Order: sequence, then C-alpha cells, then structure tokens
Amino acid sequence: MNDTAPLTGLRVVVHAGGVAAAYAGRLLATMGAETILLEPPVGTPLRREPPFLPGTQVSALFAYHAAGAHSLVCDLDSAEGRDTAAALLSEADILIDDSPLAKRQQRGLDPEAIASRHPQLVHVSVLPFGASGPKAGWKAEEINLQHASGEGNLLPNGLTIELFPERPPVKIFGHFAELQGGVAAALGALAALWVRDEVGGQFVDIAVQDAALAVGAFAIQRYGDGSIEHRAERSFRYGGVLPCADGYVELLTLEQRQWEALVELLGRPEWALDPELSDSLERSRRGPEINRHIRAWAAVRKVADIVREGQAAGVPLAKYNTPAEVLRDPHEGVRGLFQPVAIEGAGALDMLVSPFRFGDAPSRLRCGPPALGDYGKVLAEAAP
Amino acid sequence: MTLPLAGIRIADFTVHNAGPFCTHLLSQLGAEVIKIESAQRPDIFRKPHPVYGRMGPATFDQVASNKLSVRINLKHPGGVALAKRLVAASDVAAESFRPRVLDRLGLGYEALRQVKCDIIVLAVSSSGQSGPDSHFAGYAPLFGAWGGLGHLTGFADGPPVEMRHVMDHTVGMNAAVALLAALHRRKATGEGALVDVAAREVASSLLGEALLLAAAGGEPGRTGNDHPRMAPHGVYPAAGDDKWLSLAVASDAEWRALAELIGASELADDPRFATEAARHANRAALDDIIAAWTRTRPADDAAAALQADGIAAHASWSAAELVADPHLHARRAIVDVREPDGRERAAVGVPMRLSKGGDIGIARGTPKLGEHEDYVYGELLGLTRSERQALEDDKVIY
Repeated sequence: MNDTAPLTGLRVVVHAGGVAAAYAGRLLATMGAETILLEPPVGTPLRREPPFLPGTQVSALFAYHAAGAHSLVCDLDSAEGRDTAAALLSEADILIDDSPLAKRQQRGLDPEAIASRHPQLVHVSVLPFGASGPKAGWKAEEINLQHASGEGNLLPNGLTIELFPERPPVKIFGHFAELQGGVAAALGALAALWVRDEVGGQFVDIAVQDAALAVGAFAIQRYGDGSIEHRAERSFRYGGVLPCADGYVELLTLEQRQWEALVELLGRPEWALDPELSDSLERSRRGPEINRHIRAWAAVRKVADIVREGQAAGVPLAKYNTPAEVLRDPHEGVRGLFQPVAIEGAGALDMLVSPFRFGDAPSRLRCGPPALGDYGKVLAEAAP
Repeated sequence: MTLPLAGIRIADFTVHNAGPFCTHLLSQLGAEVIKIESAQRPDIFRKPHPVYGRMGPATFDQVASNKLSVRINLKHPGGVALAKRLVAASDVAAESFRPRVLDRLGLGYEALRQVKCDIIVLAVSSSGQSGPDSHFAGYAPLFGAWGGLGHLTGFADGPPVEMRHVMDHTVGMNAAVALLAALHRRKATGEGALVDVAAREVASSLLGEALLLAAAGGEPGRTGNDHPRMAPHGVYPAAGDDKWLSLAVASDAEWRALAELIGASELADDPRFATEAARHANRAALDDIIAAWTRTRPADDAAAALQADGIAAHASWSAAELVADPHLHARRAIVDVREPDGRERAAVGVPMRLSKGGDIGIARGTPKLGEHEDYVYGELLGLTRSERQALEDDKVIY
C-alpha cells in the first residue's frame, strides 16, 4: 500500500459554528481531503469557545477541530462574500454547513439554491435536530443533545450512582453527542459521494440527535425486549469502577474463564471458592457481596500492580487513564496516535490525529489549526 | 431506486457490538453484509444473556438486523478455504478478533490479499493491530477507561464513570467512515487496504481538546454538568419522580429571555448574573433559582416554553419517550420493525436522510443462523447441492 491518504484529491468546504460540523470536516481532512473553513470576518465562534490552552486565549476546542484545514474569510451576509463562497463551491466536492435553518436562504446555503448552482455538490446539513421534522428549528447545546438521545438519562451508573443516588444525571465529558453528529455527517458525505457519478450531488440531512440515538441503540432494543433501562440498575452486578490506593481501575468479567482468572488474581480467598459462585446467575444475584470483597481487596493495592497482574492472568482490567497518561502512554507512543502540530499563540503541541489508520503507518495531519484567512494567501500565491 | 452502497459486498466476521454496528450501518445504506458464524460459535445474541435478564436468544438484534447469515466453521481447514472463497467474492472483509487471531487461522490481511488483491480488510480491536498492548482484550467500559473518557466523566467530587454500549457503537460508526474512505481510495487507485480501528483510540478522539490541554501542561478533570463558559447549564429537576430537564444559556440575550420567562426579570440586571462571567461565578445560586422554577413543571412543557423563547432545553428522555417521539419517527431515526411472530417493535434507523435514492434503513430483521446459504453458497459461490451437503457432513458448514 502506498502512502497516499484515502481522500486525496477531494475538496471539502466547511461552514461550521459548532463542533459537529467542524468535526465532520476534521475527519475528512485527516483522511487527506483538502478542507477549507469558511469563516466570517471575526472568525468562527469556535475560535472563542473554551477550553483555552493554559495561559492563553487560544481555544483548544477550535485547535483540535480545525487542525489540517485552511481558513477562508467570507462574509456570507454580503453579496461579495456569497460570490466568493459560490466560486469555491463550484470547485468543491462536499459542503458541510450548520447554519440555523432561518439563516440559510439569506446566506445562499439553502438546499434549493445549492442544488441549482452546484448540481454535483454533496451538501451536508448538520443541525441539532436535523433540517426536517417538527423539531427542526429547536436549539440545542451538547447537554441537551445527550438528554434528547437517551444516554443522558442513563448516566451515571455503577459506583457514582451508588455514592450519589439523589443527584441529577451527569453528562459524558465534552462534546460526545455532537461528535457522533460529526461522524454521521462524514459517513453521509462519503455515502452520497459514492453514488455521485450516477445520481449527481444531493442533500444529506444530519441530526446530532439521530446520531447520538444511533449509538445508544441498545436502550431501544431492550425497550422492545420489555425492559426499560434505568441508570440505577444498569450496572454490571460486580466489578465496574474499583477505587485503588492510587487511582481507579475498571474490571469487567463477562465470561466464566474470566471469573475463574479473577479468583486466581484475588489469591483464591475463601469467599470466592464458594461452589455456588461458580454459577454466573448466582454471582449476579450476589453481586453486591462480591463487590464488597473486591473493593476491599483493591483499596489497598496500586493500580499498576492490579493491571499488570490482571492482564497477565486474563482478567479484563484497565486503568482509568488521565489525559496526561493517555498522552504519555507507551502503547500510543509506538502507534503514533499523537503528532506535534504548530498552534498560533501556543507553540507546537502534541495533538491526537485520528482514531483509525490505513495500513501500518499512523494517519497524519497536514498542519495545525489555520490562522484566520490563511487560504486567501494560498490563493494569492497560486495566482499567476 | 437503489441505495447508495448497493453493489458493495462485505464478508462480516465481526462479533459483539462494535464491529457489527459498523457493518449494520453500511447494510442500511445498501451494502450486502454476509454475517459469518457457526453453530459452535454463534454470536452472543443467539444465546441467553442473564446479565440483562434475557434467558433465551434475542428475538431481534439491532446490529445483526439487515444482514445475511451463513455458517462457516473457521476451526476446520475446509472452513478457512470456504471463508476465502467468500472473501474473494467480496469487496470488504470485516473482523473484530484479537489481533493476529485471523493470521493464525490463515485469514490475515496478507492471506486475503492473495485471494483478492484489492480486498479491504477492516480490523476492529480494543487497542489496535500494533503496539505493546495490542493483545489486550476489552469491552466498552475498558475502552472508556484506557482512552480517558471515563476519567473525565463524572462529578468533581466523585469517581470516574463507566462507559457503556455507546462506546462500542461509537467505535462502529467511526469504522464505517474509515471503511468508506478506503473504498473511495480503492476506486481512485485500485488498491485495497488494511483499516485498523482501535477502540481505545476512538474513546480518546472524543477528548481531543482535553488531551491538547494536557499537552500544554494543563490538568483537565471531572466537572459534572458544568460548562466552562455557560451558566445556567445543567440538568434540573422537573415535575414528577425522577424527571429532569436539561437547559443551557449561551448568551446574555438568552439569559434575559430566561429571566423573563421564569417571572424574575429583575434578575436579568442583577450584578450577580448580568454577565456570562458573573453567572458562571455564581452558578450555584443561579441553579437554585432555575430549579425552583423547573421543579413544578413537566419537563417537556418546560422545554417547549424555553425553546419558544429561544433557549436551548430538552427533557431528559428515557427509551419510552424516545420511542414515542413524532420527530424521531418523521426522520426515521426510530422505525418500526416486525418480529418473526408479527409483533411490531421499535428499532433505531440509520442516522441520516438522503435526498436521492431508495429508502435507507432496516429492511430485514435478524437472520436465522445460516438462513441465506442458498443465496450465498448456491448463487454467489456456485456450490452445488451435493457439494454443500458434503461440506455440512464434514462440519465445514456447521
């Protein structure tokens, strides 16, 4: 396999005020597409969105989601800006836009206008609730989307809800639902592109809610099976988050041989040798009792020792890594998950490149996040 | 009208959730996905699952639906040969064994390239095909732990939170994107590829900004439902038992609208709350004020009133509420499927609407083990009835 990234030669225009649309562009850029962010003169709002890199006003959120892209300043509220955008779109394969529905026509980004001017363009709309349906006009931030799609109501589980049964549900860190929307948008874009030669361009309508619901599909499946999940009861009956002397590990034994390996890891204590516990249903029933023993065992031990001995014994165990630990993880070092990129105002920093790779070599970013309007300079230099 | 991925055939060796969700998505977009199992090693949904209170096989399995089913015993040399014939007739081979398991069976990437030079192999694993941890087995909660997402999720004064199936399916959706990209590359260059998707790296991709903070010397930690900028922002009690409303105020204008809506317009200019920075600093006091208003209102009513005033809000929905939602039905994000006994139930559709082509989504339920062998072995591979019988007698098709 040679080194060409899979989407080399593809041109993607991204008009993104939020994470979902920006991440769709980021994924495509990571895979080799030339990605151009269309930004208003003040820059996309993502440039001003926290978290900021320590001691700076540089948005880590923007840096991560815009890495690998170019930036073109283009005021879609002016006729000149719309002409610039149209010229760019006439040479693009994919447009990703998250403009609110009410603003699309005035920006020249409504599906009818795009389809008539750029019939070969794959036009991907990314909105919290999609571009059609009774809630298409609704607003949502990340926290609303986690709760509109099911998983929000189902967290926390396990140890956290045991400790804090009266507290409200807690969200998954960061932009979990919006990132699902971004992945679904990339999927929709590539699916539509696959048939472009046969059917021409088309309109791809992505809702973050739909995408987050899709990854939570098992809650719907269990509902159909007659069981409604609740965060207080959806815990595995034993194992889960184990507090150790110096951190946390995750323990999950689903198979009989894993339970047997766990008994060995624990040093074959008398309680675990109870013949009744060799039955998985009995273990589920006596989960709280098993957990009391396992937690007492873990509480006086160090994470590194438990993980090393557990993995060697065939017990599925993992350390709850901090971001700094992920960054320094020797496994990820070998795999090249991170790449130093230049970030204006912050210097060179290691950034996660891509959650997948083609062949043995890690994926690579073309560059860090773009300076506002860098593509204008690229165009000027390219002009004869 | 044809579906976008019509004509793409996937030999699907994946098991559990992450890999099968990938091929399930692609099948809903028109790819022909042939699920490979054996009576000896049936997929988990064909077995009882007491942990979830299911004492028999699943009548419907979301991630197996829409696929074709054949039996191949990969422990038999004849099964390996049959698998190769199937791969030779496919565009993609998808697998989710531990790294090097298929190599040992003689079905690794290099071996499959010998039978189809431009084959695309998708390998989904917990830690990837390379690196010192590549032999680790894992499940969704472990991916979340390794990748850092578990550490960052939870209350500031509490422990990390365990990630569940959403983590598996996130891996699957990422894998679907990577697979389509590899197919585009094949179209452009004629070359196949090995697509390596590591679940723990997918988990890490969900915290890219926090990893960047760590790279710059920061120490991001758990912050519950707080947002670094917005306030109010959180999950507030609604009327009823265990009912909640999510609400986020992103600007001063929205704050003014909210103060008006809750009958406390004097708070709009209260110095404790007048600016975003002030609201954030005083968010605990603000949360009490908001909760006093939400507590007496049904969550859906409150969300509708807030949305009407331009404020982002949504009830915290359970599965029952999702299944009943007209919006999700209109978008076919929730669809009704039919059980073998004719009963209707809800399932999750493919998360997109396309303006051209036929109806994407689930067209068939969960296949019976070996249900499609007449088509796959007979029509596709051209095996005669007696050849198939011999393979069955030999426990190759088993």
